[in-house]
Amino acid sequence: MGKRITVPFGSQHVALPEPIKFVFQTENEKITSVEVDVGYVHRGIEKACQTKFKYTQVGYVVARVCGLCSISHTLGYVTAVERLMGVEVPKRALYLRLIVSELDRVHSHLLAMGHTAEVAGYENLFMQTFRYRETAMELLELLTGNRVQYDYATIGGVNRDLTPDVAKTLKERLKELKERCLWIKDVFENDFTLKLRWKGVGVVTKEMAKRFNVVGPPARAAGLETDCRAEFNYLPFKELGFKLVVRNGGDIYDRNLVRAYEVINSIEMVENALEGLPEGDVKVAVKGLPDGESFVRVEAPRGELFYYVKGSKKMVLDRVRIRVPTFANIPVMKELFVGMDYADVPATVISFDPCLSCTAR
Amino acid sequence: MKVEEIKVPLRDVRRTVKEFYNENEWHFITVNAVDLGGKVELKWFFTRYGEDEYFRVVVAQASYDEEIPTLTYLIPSAWISEWELADLFGLNVEGAKTGLFLEPDSPRAPLRRG
Repeated sequence: MGKRITVPFGSQHVALPEPIKFVFQTENEKITSVEVDVGYVHRGIEKACQTKFKYTQVGYVVARVCGLCSISHTLGYVTAVERLMGVEVPKRALYLRLIVSELDRVHSHLLAMGHTAEVAGYENLFMQTFRYRETAMELLELLTGNRVQYDYATIGGVNRDLTPDVAKTLKERLKELKERCLWIKDVFENDFTLKLRWKGVGVVTKEMAKRFNVVGPPARAAGLETDCRAEFNYLPFKELGFKLVVRNGGDIYDRNLVRAYEVINSIEMVENALEGLPEGDVKVAVKGLPDGESFVRVEAPRGELFYYVKGSKKMVLDRVRIRVPTFANIPVMKELFVGMDYADVPATVISFDPCLSCTAR
Repeated sequence: MKVEEIKVPLRDVRRTVKEFYNENEWHFITVNAVDLGGKVELKWFFTRYGEDEYFRVVVAQASYDEEIPTLTYLIPSAWISEWELADLFGLNVEGAKTGLFLEPDSPRAPLRRG
């Protein structure tokens, strides 16, 4: 019989400063079973959205579900309501939404990649990645007024137009950001030590990804061709050069490379959107009250984000349901850990880029 | 957007899903509940990989006390959505544990109306 030890990971852990708890049962440092607890900070946002706030205010409430992917939450909600109420959003507003959504993906992916480098012991790469992420955040601030939690999209369009000066600055600084991100991609792709540390670790096979309905970069790293940007037409991704990034290793290395390549594609889409930005209004007036139900899938940086909205001609909605990507990936993480060395747990957890702020919305 | 809605009695949900669900083709999104007062409307959302704006939705109603069949035999990842129903709506889902999303001192079944 081996040496059996119970190892708690969280609720606060140096590798992941968010409140999730895994309790690992280990035998000779191999994990034999896992229990998970995500309920430390349930904030009751769904309850608030269907009791305290008017449907016109809910977009601003759901933007606070998560700091990193607030635009995805707002987009999920406003798209659901716009479809329910038959609102035709101006094309310029759709382009502007795409620009913010993709810049948000850039900074979120760089954060995830930086954290994974940190738990691999690459402090310098972590700092360099975060340094470059600052450029994306500065551009977002320039465009929306905020570094995070930008209340940019609203029902019927966007809250702020793009001025020619800001567009010029964005174009110039995107070139610099792209060069930096290409360098980061090369390090993550070719560094000898990182490959040794990450290749073959925390492998989600394509079969596992399908069996456990995995979403986002972990699914695409496992070879599963799924991305809401290709499967749901909420923004003009296809006309602005969206490329589906898929790899086959399913390990930490490939999860990071999916992110690295997506960052480059996102920057290219933003460049294309700025180049072909249509003229016209950025918002249309919305009248009436939502009646009926609507549901949408949007691609948040961590994967498929599902919004369900139901109204009955009242200012306050009957139901707002948010199914976030981290929530969808917890079952496969739980399964993945069994049989793994405990030493690989922090890097594996971080490579999924979990967001407990979203999960405990 | 194409939505295919299949309304079934609660006891037939598992059989209905079993008839079409194939993990190579279908992606299970989640199960959602809407409180109707004394009972809930449940919707299991599915989509097909690679298909544009397509949903298949299995719909059933259940009283607060009725046992809701689990789909984890068919879809191993379904447990987390089902446990959420048990926590946030106080529903009796087959095999579900409570306490994953709410702490012991939280209000019970917060998403029930009234």
